[in-house]
Amino acid sequence: MPTSTYRKNQMFILITVLIAIAFLVSICVGKYPIGLTDIFTIVTGGEIDAISKNVFFTIRLPRTIMALIAGLGLGMAGSVYQTIFKNPLASPDIIGVANGATLGAAAAIVFFGYSTLMIAASAFIGGILVMVLVVALVNSTTNINTTTYILAGIIFKALSESLIMLLKLFSDPQNELAAIEFWTMGSFSHVVVSKVVVIFPIFLTGFIGMILLRRQIALLGLEDDESRSLGVRVGAIRMIVLAVSTLMVTSIICITGVINFIGLIAPHIARLALKRTSFETCIFASLVGAFIVLVADCLARSMYSTEIPISILTTFIGLPCLIYFMRSKKAGRI
Amino acid sequence: MTGLSIDNITAGYDGREIISGIEFSIERGEFCALLGRNGSGKTTLFKSLCGLIKSYSGSFYVDDVDCTNLNERKRAQYISYIPQRHSKLQGVLVRDVVLMGYNPTLPLLASPNKSEMAYAENLVMQMELGELADKDFSRLSEGQKQLIILTRTLVQNAPVMLMDEPDSSLDFPNRHSVLAKIRDIIHRQNKVGLVTLHDPNFALEYCDKIVLIANGQLLGELRPKTATEQEVLTHLSKIYGNIDVLEHRGRFVVQMNC
Repeated sequence: MPTSTYRKNQMFILITVLIAIAFLVSICVGKYPIGLTDIFTIVTGGEIDAISKNVFFTIRLPRTIMALIAGLGLGMAGSVYQTIFKNPLASPDIIGVANGATLGAAAAIVFFGYSTLMIAASAFIGGILVMVLVVALVNSTTNINTTTYILAGIIFKALSESLIMLLKLFSDPQNELAAIEFWTMGSFSHVVVSKVVVIFPIFLTGFIGMILLRRQIALLGLEDDESRSLGVRVGAIRMIVLAVSTLMVTSIICITGVINFIGLIAPHIARLALKRTSFETCIFASLVGAFIVLVADCLARSMYSTEIPISILTTFIGLPCLIYFMRSKKAGRI
Repeated sequence: MTGLSIDNITAGYDGREIISGIEFSIERGEFCALLGRNGSGKTTLFKSLCGLIKSYSGSFYVDDVDCTNLNERKRAQYISYIPQRHSKLQGVLVRDVVLMGYNPTLPLLASPNKSEMAYAENLVMQMELGELADKDFSRLSEGQKQLIILTRTLVQNAPVMLMDEPDSSLDFPNRHSVLAKIRDIIHRQNKVGLVTLHDPNFALEYCDKIVLIANGQLLGELRPKTATEQEVLTHLSKIYGNIDVLEHRGRFVVQMNC
């Protein structure tokens, strides 16, 4: 077995074990702690008090699964975006999806009150709408390339931000403004089974779509002329990959709110760990994302008496990593 | 049956004509050089054949099949293209770069199967690149990269191979070695090879035919093996101006008179 394959296998085993540990810890910690023996009893169908069972099934398990899904999706999407935009600074919100979702959420908060289901639905529509508008604007130009996508993303990001500011201006500062701000910081505190059940098929469609499109994603990493000469219908395939990934990202952030840094940092950690760029790196980035979000969520609900928004923690975890990569990266290397 | 037949192609950028009325053909098993000065329209012709830019008029045929309006995928089954500069591909393994050549023939969501992977592996071995298969493509020398891209076009297995200055970043021995490999492949596999080169001496040494282009117009054709010294001089001086042509050990050598 070549050294690189041995290293790759070791890394995959390590991250899987870390995720398994983080998953268990995530189920255990919180205002109402559940012990490992309690989890074992619940899973094996043994006798246990109703409160523990209730906390496990209605709060802890959906929340932990949602954190896992969010990390998997954002890590994978970040890696795919960095490949197809040929830009190591690309992340899922490069085309303004997160801002569109925030606008959707803000509109729901201001116009429809605090129905969490309404906020999630509106955020989902906002994210998808921005993607559709970006694609439409790009297709209306004669110069369809990654730069055009980024420019279109900047336009709709700016537009969304302005509209969010407008909504904030007219919102009630005591409740609505606070709710909008809190949404932009991300949290898993509103996760319930019904929401996870609704978004799970959408997330899975996006995630499986990425896996199926893995060869096309790698080919989009080439210069456009080179991939076209290898038979890739660049315009159409890029649009499909973006649509699928946006579907996945929006299905996550419509429930959790904005989660910073995972999409940017997880692919860098994956490339550094595997020392290669392939679809395996995207999968590894996905697993790294899951681990970071699980750890961040554990800290979010156990560090302080009130819950800390998730983006504060993912930023605190992500920034030192980014500084480390900046300092350790050799010229011309991954 | 003519391998590649170009019929009156006119193409350019933003409505501006760069090449006009280009018309020539290349037989199967022939390695042909397209010679011209910078800006003469060589790359424009290649890009229009590859569908990277749309030609304003004219058509071209591969084995009598009209390929003018084929989409990228279908076109790549007839034409492979080695651009002047390839992508950086940081961290991508050589093996994965070579396997990209299967894309035009694979269904959209499929991956190469075991026998296809074994065939690609075998080609890498034949090209004497076996020890590079698990290396990072971006960390190879330019000569090695060029050979890997050439291997990828062999995996692509299109009847027509277009190569835009494949020797531009190679040192002197590597130029000879890469061009000799390309010529042998084209002869052995009965493909059509069309290459642009800056140095006419390499074209005279390795190519069966030379097509001359200046200011987007075709100036003529030359077959180095049967041409006389005078014919070589007459044709090449149309492009390069004041030159000398010498015959040395059965080969023509071109020198600029500065």
